[in-house]
Amino acid sequence: MKPVILAFETSCDETAVAVVRGTEVLSNVLSSQVDLHSRFGGVVPEVAARAHVEAIRSLTHRAMVEAGLHTDDLDAVAATEGPGLVGALLVGFSFAKATAWARQLPFVGVDHMEGHLMAPRIDHGEAFRPPAVSLLVSGGHSEIVLVHDWGEYEVLGRTIDDAAGEAFDKLARVMGLGFPGGPAIDAASEGGDPKAVSFPRALSDRPYDFSFSGLKTAVATFIERAARSGDLPPLADVAASLQEAIVDVLVDKTFRAVDDTGVRVVSGGGGVIANRRLRRRLAEEADKRGVTLCLPPPVLATDNAAMIGVAAVHHLSLGHVSDWATGVDPGLRLG
Amino acid sequence: MKVVALSTSTPKSSVALAEGREVVASAERTDRRGHASFLVPALDFCFDQAGWVPADVDAVVVDVGPGLYTGLRVGLATAQGLAGAVGAQLIPAVSLDALALRATTGHRHIVAVVDVRRGELAVAGYRPVPGGVVRDGAPQLVTPDRLRALLESDPGEVLLVGDVPALPEETLRGLHRVKVGRPRYPGAEALVEIGARTAEKDDAPHPDEVRPLYLRDPDVTINWAMLRQEGPWPGQR
Repeated sequence: MKPVILAFETSCDETAVAVVRGTEVLSNVLSSQVDLHSRFGGVVPEVAARAHVEAIRSLTHRAMVEAGLHTDDLDAVAATEGPGLVGALLVGFSFAKATAWARQLPFVGVDHMEGHLMAPRIDHGEAFRPPAVSLLVSGGHSEIVLVHDWGEYEVLGRTIDDAAGEAFDKLARVMGLGFPGGPAIDAASEGGDPKAVSFPRALSDRPYDFSFSGLKTAVATFIERAARSGDLPPLADVAASLQEAIVDVLVDKTFRAVDDTGVRVVSGGGGVIANRRLRRRLAEEADKRGVTLCLPPPVLATDNAAMIGVAAVHHLSLGHVSDWATGVDPGLRLG
Repeated sequence: MKVVALSTSTPKSSVALAEGREVVASAERTDRRGHASFLVPALDFCFDQAGWVPADVDAVVVDVGPGLYTGLRVGLATAQGLAGAVGAQLIPAVSLDALALRATTGHRHIVAVVDVRRGELAVAGYRPVPGGVVRDGAPQLVTPDRLRALLESDPGEVLLVGDVPALPEETLRGLHRVKVGRPRYPGAEALVEIGARTAEKDDAPHPDEVRPLYLRDPDVTINWAMLRQEGPWPGQR
């Protein structure tokens, strides 16, 4: 029997609730706070926590209705335990734990990054299996993970400064595009020439680590000089070129890990995986090597609760259940 | 009617179970950061003591503050989850009301305070009436200096309850008409009484309207380095 799980994700600026049966998604709803935060230039923790507690009750109701289920049909409840903003995490975690206790169901606390890592299981099923190399890239994280087995992770490399999503945000600002930057740059790059401007690719001497802070300075300097001398290339060319600089590094290092470890499966997760150029380039490299690429669709790449439910299914199958005194862990790290 | 009450607006977390107005089990712990790890184990313990199962619950009364923001949200999210899962009514209660209700005085005007951090207190005044207290106006935020001014301007004798030990020492110096009383923190047992009155008057708001009483806008630091600026390309907004 595949367990039916009600899952919650409130680690940052999306209130998300889902119902899954095994790796099948029965409902997956969210209340985005992007509009609330964009006027501040980024996510404001107190604003996020307030919005979560206002949205979670009715959103849960919607997730149950869309799944066509009653609370009697649930086998377990899961919630993100960390990493994330402590005040935001506590809302979903407390709501979920109380729901589980009130129905006397098992409660499973889930690592947000393991949720991202497992998201491709929803669409790729058995094709996505360890050993695999997983590229996890979002606004808060950038890492390459070797998945020895489910639950057995080795972080091969991570960013030494900005996360990839953060780099997109900063670059979008330099270019006069809005927050969040990833989707804005993806859209602006449409029809642009990725080779129009050559921006630096950092940390070529370290196999799996990333660094994106230098790119912001390079792009800002380039734009300023070009604008002053009157030969600023079209916006689409600059957007495509800086996007290529980020994508190149992510793709090169991911496939270096694939080649070095000899795994035959490569996957991805996190909001940056929604970037169309990154998806295309990952697909090309996977094709070249004949390895299986398992990417979640964009809606399951960005923060969502279905991925938390799917990760919880795995923990439940091993009997990993959290006790009632469990708290959140904002600094939780994979591996 | 089976009622569960939760309070986590201050460093004290507490849970009470009641049949109507009669408390049948309760638990509490004082630990500023422990709200989230206390509540569900405390519920589990109290239900066991009382021989209840969660499905028995008719109403959940929750302390919506004013108080510690994170505590308020942990309490409200827990109450929402519990009430939603068993189909119970969700009833909000004000922390200051819970303090005033438990203050014992015959004639004095009651002033209740809750520490809300960053140099401010939530405060409300109450008149004792037979069988309870009546609040004079909405809770407000004040600095300790302003609280002192409020107490000085009160023409009668005052009983001050709440987190008085957290006040700067000079706040009450020389205020001879002010007597400091208990309780220091609001407790779930007082919420039972407040919840029962709300239920009797059929006065509970829609559950989506039950929200923490923050009394101030969120502290926002605008991230100027990330805020949208004008781009160099013509036609960009």
